[in-house]
Amino acid sequence: MTATTQDRIEEDLWIPTSCGQCYCMCGINVRRQDGVITEVEGNPDAPTGRGSICPKGLASPHLLYDPYRLNYPVKRTNPEKGLGIDPGWERISWEEAMDIIVEKLKECRDRDPRGAYFQATTTQASEIRFGVIGFMKGFGTPNYWVSGGGLHCGNGAHFMNGIMHVAWSIIPDFANCNYALNFGCSKGHGAGHVAVQNATQAADARARGFKNIVFDPFQSAQASKGHEWVPIKVGTDGAMALGLVNSLLNEHGIYDAEYLMYKTNGPYLIRPSDGRYMRDGVTGKPLVWDLADNCPKVHNDPSVTRVEYEDVAHEVALTGRYTVDGVECTPSFELLKEHVKRYTPEYVEEATGVPAASVSRIAKEFGEAAEIGSTVTIETSRGPKKVPRRPVATHFFRGAQGHVNSGWTCLSIDMVNHMVGAADTFGSAFGLGAAVGSGYEGTGKPYQIPYPCPDGLLMAKTWVYDHVPYPMREPKPPTRLDLHDMFPTSIYNAFTITSPRWFEMLERFKIPYEPDVMINFGSNSVMTMGNAEAVTENFLKKFKFIFSFQLHLTEFEEAVADVVLPDTCFLERYTPAVSFPSTFSHPQGEDDWGWTIRQPVIEPLFERRDFNQVMIDISERLGIHGNYFKGLNDSIPIRYGGEMEEKNKLIEDGSVVHTWEDVCDRLIRDRFGDEHGLEHLKERGVFTWPKKKEDVYWKWFNPSRVPIYFEYFIDSREKITKLWDEYDGKDFFDLDWSRFKALADWYPCPTHTETDPAYDMHAFYWRAVMHCNSMTQQNPYLDEVSQEDPYVYAIQIHADTAKEKGLADGDWVWMENPQGHRVKGWIALTEGIEPHHLAVAAVAGHWGNYMPIAKGKGVFFNDLVEMDLPHTDPLTFNQDICCRVKIYKADS
Amino acid sequence: MNPEANGQMQREWGWWIAIYLFLGGIGGGAYTIGATNWLIGDGAEASTALGLWIGFPALAIGSICLLADLGSPTRAILAGMRPGTSWMARGFWIISIFMILAFVHFVLHLFTGASETAGGQSLLNIIAVAGIVFAVGTMAYTGILLSTSKGIPFWRSGAVPVVFVVSALVTGHFTIMLGMALGFGGQEMTEPLRIMALEAAVLVALEVLAIVFFLQAAFAHPDPRESAERILRRRSFVVGYFLLGLAVPLVLMILAYRSAAVAGGYLTTIPLGAALGLVGGLILRQSVLVCGALPTLNMGGFEFRRIARPKELKPGIGLMPPT
Amino acid sequence: MSDVMVDATVNHGSTVEMRMPRYGMVIDLKRCYGCYACVMACKTANHTPPGVFWARLLKGEMGKFPNTVRQSLPVLCMQCEEPSCLEVCPTGATVKLDDGVVIVEKDKCMGCKYCMMACPYGARYSVEKWESYFPDGLPLSPYEEFTKKAWEEKSGVGVATKCDFCRDRVADGKDPACVDACPANARIFGDLDDPDSEVSWLIKTYRGEVLNPEFGNKPKVYYLPPR
Ligand SMILES: Nc1nc2c(c(=O)[nH]1)N[C@H]1C(S)=C(S)[C@@H](COP(=O)(O)OP(=O)(O)OC[C@H]3O[C@@H](n4cnc5c(=O)[nH]c(N)nc54)[C@H](O)[C@@H]3O)O[C@H]1N2
Ligand SMILES: Nc1nc2c(c(=O)[nH]1)N[C@H]1C(S)=C(S)[C@@H](COP(=O)(O)OP(=O)(O)OC[C@H]3O[C@@H](n4cnc5c(=O)[nH]c(N)nc54)[C@H](O)[C@@H]3O)O[C@H]1N2
Ligand code: SF4
Ligand code: SF4
Ligand code: SF4
Ligand code: SF4
Ligand code: SF4
Ligand SMILES: [Mo]
Repeated sequence: MTATTQDRIEEDLWIPTSCGQCYCMCGINVRRQDGVITEVEGNPDAPTGRGSICPKGLASPHLLYDPYRLNYPVKRTNPEKGLGIDPGWERISWEEAMDIIVEKLKECRDRDPRGAYFQATTTQASEIRFGVIGFMKGFGTPNYWVSGGGLHCGNGAHFMNGIMHVAWSIIPDFANCNYALNFGCSKGHGAGHVAVQNATQAADARARGFKNIVFDPFQSAQASKGHEWVPIKVGTDGAMALGLVNSLLNEHGIYDAEYLMYKTNGPYLIRPSDGRYMRDGVTGKPLVWDLADNCPKVHNDPSVTRVEYEDVAHEVALTGRYTVDGVECTPSFELLKEHVKRYTPEYVEEATGVPAASVSRIAKEFGEAAEIGSTVTIETSRGPKKVPRRPVATHFFRGAQGHVNSGWTCLSIDMVNHMVGAADTFGSAFGLGAAVGSGYEGTGKPYQIPYPCPDGLLMAKTWVYDHVPYPMREPKPPTRLDLHDMFPTSIYNAFTITSPRWFEMLERFKIPYEPDVMINFGSNSVMTMGNAEAVTENFLKKFKFIFSFQLHLTEFEEAVADVVLPDTCFLERYTPAVSFPSTFSHPQGEDDWGWTIRQPVIEPLFERRDFNQVMIDISERLGIHGNYFKGLNDSIPIRYGGEMEEKNKLIEDGSVVHTWEDVCDRLIRDRFGDEHGLEHLKERGVFTWPKKKEDVYWKWFNPSRVPIYFEYFIDSREKITKLWDEYDGKDFFDLDWSRFKALADWYPCPTHTETDPAYDMHAFYWRAVMHCNSMTQQNPYLDEVSQEDPYVYAIQIHADTAKEKGLADGDWVWMENPQGHRVKGWIALTEGIEPHHLAVAAVAGHWGNYMPIAKGKGVFFNDLVEMDLPHTDPLTFNQDICCRVKIYKADS
Repeated sequence: MNPEANGQMQREWGWWIAIYLFLGGIGGGAYTIGATNWLIGDGAEASTALGLWIGFPALAIGSICLLADLGSPTRAILAGMRPGTSWMARGFWIISIFMILAFVHFVLHLFTGASETAGGQSLLNIIAVAGIVFAVGTMAYTGILLSTSKGIPFWRSGAVPVVFVVSALVTGHFTIMLGMALGFGGQEMTEPLRIMALEAAVLVALEVLAIVFFLQAAFAHPDPRESAERILRRRSFVVGYFLLGLAVPLVLMILAYRSAAVAGGYLTTIPLGAALGLVGGLILRQSVLVCGALPTLNMGGFEFRRIARPKELKPGIGLMPPT
Repeated sequence: MSDVMVDATVNHGSTVEMRMPRYGMVIDLKRCYGCYACVMACKTANHTPPGVFWARLLKGEMGKFPNTVRQSLPVLCMQCEEPSCLEVCPTGATVKLDDGVVIVEKDKCMGCKYCMMACPYGARYSVEKWESYFPDGLPLSPYEEFTKKAWEEKSGVGVATKCDFCRDRVADGKDPACVDACPANARIFGDLDDPDSEVSWLIKTYRGEVLNPEFGNKPKVYYLPPR
């Protein structure tokens, strides 16, 4: 084996790089002794982790050396594809593999380059931004998708947090927050973005008396560490949140008028006729009502705007009726205030199972803890400045947002923050990752200060992909295989590509090409998207040819891959930008900025090759490398904050084929200056520079507002419906499009409307700290600790419920959904779960023959996840991952 | 999970140690009985000879079982070098000395005329008394070894040595009877055997008392209770030991004692009863060992237990990617 | 030994005059969120084979729904002042060092496992033979070759093994692996004899308790209350 036959120089060194066992990508130091990787530790220099680490990172030597790793290219000899079919793998040379692949891609390009479809894993987020993006642009296909991304990860959360915080997600300012409401996320407790460093922050917060009120159907890590556990019915967080908003505004009369006046569109005047902004005749800008001058003013008229907290301006109306050009209009805040009245504590109790009394109590506690009016003075680069101090926050992620009400639920939860002005200021809810920064003073990059659109609303300067979440894309005639172009609010559309009527749709919408070649980077979408049968039959099997970069031959490869290439794992390769785009997974708070990289801690073993180098090679063979590099040049500004200097740009005319290492070096040098290139970063694995306080608590330094009234959703509804009427394709989208509207509401999931009493349980999933989705169960260390834990591989069920059903601890059971899909597992009895719920951890229950450690461990929850319209959020196309099931005994 | 896989249970001491303790008991018990007979003068009795004879080999084999259980038997000698320290070290000496005494006594008794000469007689007396002391020590040690194991509350009871000593006498006694019944048989053996059956019955009755006392004491506290419940859930213990290993032999011994007339009777009831009693003695020790559970840990009002991996989660061998 | 003393005085807050520290650990259960990093760090730093967990995590649950709470309890060798494991050791393999750390000298251990029966905290492990984490019959990976070698050199088969408070790391002036890894900074290592050390301060200020004091072993691992 390569590693052992290496000439053994007496060697013992620690190499700084970045972990890749989940998308938090913490800074780590890796120990190499005589050519063998022997230990992993956290890297104290890297703000991502600061020396701490999680069990997955620690266990990664086994990922590097797993004897079941794929080490050579293989091809499928059995033409038949599908679940449980033996592909008849045969080892081939890299040469042969590349020939086949390039051949297929050429054919595809001759037919129509758009037939190429890139699928990638979220878990290697930082690699995607090069090999995937560059190739798509170079080859000329818009078709791309991140596995699971659509249904589980963040269609709702990323979009909404992008609009409200220019970030991927939200989190409390753990350092200064006193009271937080946690809606279904493990932030600070094992999962989420920036997991390890959040855990440190959360622990410090607990130690100083920070209260986390946790809404979760079971005693999750966060619930057990929380100040209060509020068991809640899955999928009802939106109702809870709107109940809190109602209780704050209409029961306790608590809200931050200052904030709403100057930092939201709450004062924007709305005309009753069509719910649109009342606009200024001349400038076309939205109007607010100046209470001092008692007349309408455009939203950013100096007399009515306060950028910094200490600026002075006239008060503007948040409530009341005002006549402009003879039209009587209302500030949007008043509309919201009225609108939420229906979310009475009683209604909320009905929907969520949380006692009405708790609803108004928690609202009161939250409102009071917000200490509206209180301020602190922070040391900015421009001297001491006063900013509001709002030590409260709501935060949420997968749990709350993985439902058919995803979009509005996300907004509703965040709305609670904005009612009390607890957004991106001292102690409040922060966007996560840290999205706002004025850059390293040496170069002014990455520059990522958000700015207002003409209507005054917050616009991201940098983002994780090409299109910022706001302004929304214009609904356009579809060109993509998932009809994405038509739907401005979605990131990924699972329900189109996995529909049995997919091809019908393509025809009806005049898509002139078919799914052709799929390139898979990582992703095990057969397991991670939803019902495996549907994903495989309706989607994956529609491709003529699939090749995949992988570490193991997973269920995906077994089912559908024709050629599989042995990729390097994160320990064997370069990545130029890991913690950036910082919108994704860069730590929040006052700690430094840290730009981390990956470097090989060992030469790739066997015939493994780095995905990013191979993609360049493929492009070269196709003669598209010039466009490939152009694609990268074009994609850099939005993701990494600022144009490339000419001298650092990749050569676009095809005269040069840059090596991957050169690509890395150029990007880094461009961001931090020639003296700080790849070589320099390799020493510490990270480049750090101080965060300005005004970039941490940026809200009252930025001239933009956030919406609490989503006027522009109304437009898109009209545009979308108009579009499909042109194709008369309405019958494909039998969804509740009335959800494209200006004010938040909660909508029940199929789980809640299920009428058959046989299906009496709600099943949902959670993340165990020692697993990342589907990829870690094969690691024997992680598998072993999972078995040390009473719940990780089990189905948690309430002891009384089990007794009623005649089930005993450790019994094997089936969980079956109304569509007849069922999965098997054993149960663990507990008092720590709402009695009508069943909890399952991770993407487990592997059946693949090439991952024997993982095989048969845990429960394959996703087979219960339907990919159809009823389980799709019309607003964001998020898939519903709570399901109604019946549970009954199985023989082990 | 699977109730048989419980992380609280000790897994380290199993059959080897059980046999070690068992044979230690037999050896000590048999010698004690033999030597006592010898002292009270019926030196001719076959029971004496057998008793003296069994001590040495039983302990020899027992010690081999212990060695077999050791992770690094080659270092066993180290235990000998530090008597005072630990009961296992003390046991090392007690057993060794006992074995020597038993051996010497046996040899002098059978193959020399020592017993005829007055000096020889008193020498043997001394050996016998010392031997009995160390035999009892050996019997007690097998229990003390467990009762000094702080990690296993079930064992940490003064009742354990008592149970083991009584059981040692019973098994020792049964071994002698078995030997006699099988070895000699025939008419002239009936009378002593009848008496011994009665003695056996009495000893077994004592053991019943001891074990009941032991378990009932264990139920008094939560930690040993778990072990006690488990041991009573074991069929081998309830049926194999309590029923077949105590109750039945008790009945058979009484029968044997009562049915004086029929010579053939002994040849069935006694060997059967004795054999069952012996098997029972082994099961007793094995059950006590495998039911040893660690104490539950408590902190902040929580109870913490180790969970054990369910059997079905052992990794299976799979297909290798082509190479 | 002396190098341990020197480094220790430098690195673990002890007063500078040469004094043998008395090592202890504090585990803050309020900070601990049960992430298993300590368990894994111990495994990867000490290369323990399957089934051996010098650092372990136990999970507890209390109360009836909805007033249920769960809590994790990280356990390791308590480095008892009065180690019952040592009392029973017939060969003198188990010793208590001057700095209070209880270790097994593997060359003296005969593998009788008496100590395992005597440790009420279940902190000791012994393996009959070294086993791979992967199914038998596969060639060992370079990493497993390394872990096998490391294990056999440091601890070995057929002997009792246990947490040694990461002596080697501490000698190098580092914290124990489990302490370094902990994302919640729930584990603090230091000198109990030094009134100014963080451990002493924490125990004093937050009324640190030892696990099951009734065992009478006088542990040197202290816990701070969960809530
Ligand atoms: N250890 C670990 N870390 C990870 C990952 C991993 O797999 N493992 N994956 C990474 C990825 S891809 C992502 S997207 C993030 C996800 O990060 P998180 O979203 O924080 O992860 P989860 O643990 O899934 O959080 C979901 C929580 O919500 C609860 N829940 C489920 N349904 C509902 C509901 O309807 N309402 C409420 N209130 N709660 C609910 C679950 O019980 C669970 O506790 O984590 C990332 N980090
Ligand atoms: N039941 C359930 N379903 C889920 C989730 C869940 O928690 N529970 N999580 C959902 C969410 S939020 C998401 S984001 C998706 C994630 O969906 P996926 O991205 O498919 O999830 P992973 O299991 O992380 O996929 C990682 C895959 O990439 C491979 N891989 C890892 N590192 C590398 C590498 O360096 N190179 C290459 N080529 N391959 C690599 C691994 O072998 C593994 O097969 O899953 C979703 N589905
Ligand atoms: S949190 Fe994710 S990135 Fe960080 S150490 Fe754990 S697995 Fe690696
Ligand atoms: S590493 Fe720290 S937080 Fe995680 S389980 Fe161990 S002690 Fe608890
Ligand atoms: S915890 Fe157990 S092993 Fe550790 S010192 Fe105490 S008694 Fe010995
Ligand atoms: S196993 Fe080793 S350390 Fe433990 S008591 Fe026996 S000799 Fe001593
Ligand atoms: S101190 Fe070292 S040996 Fe002991 S538990 Fe922690 S990591 Fe393991
Ligand atoms: Mo995700």
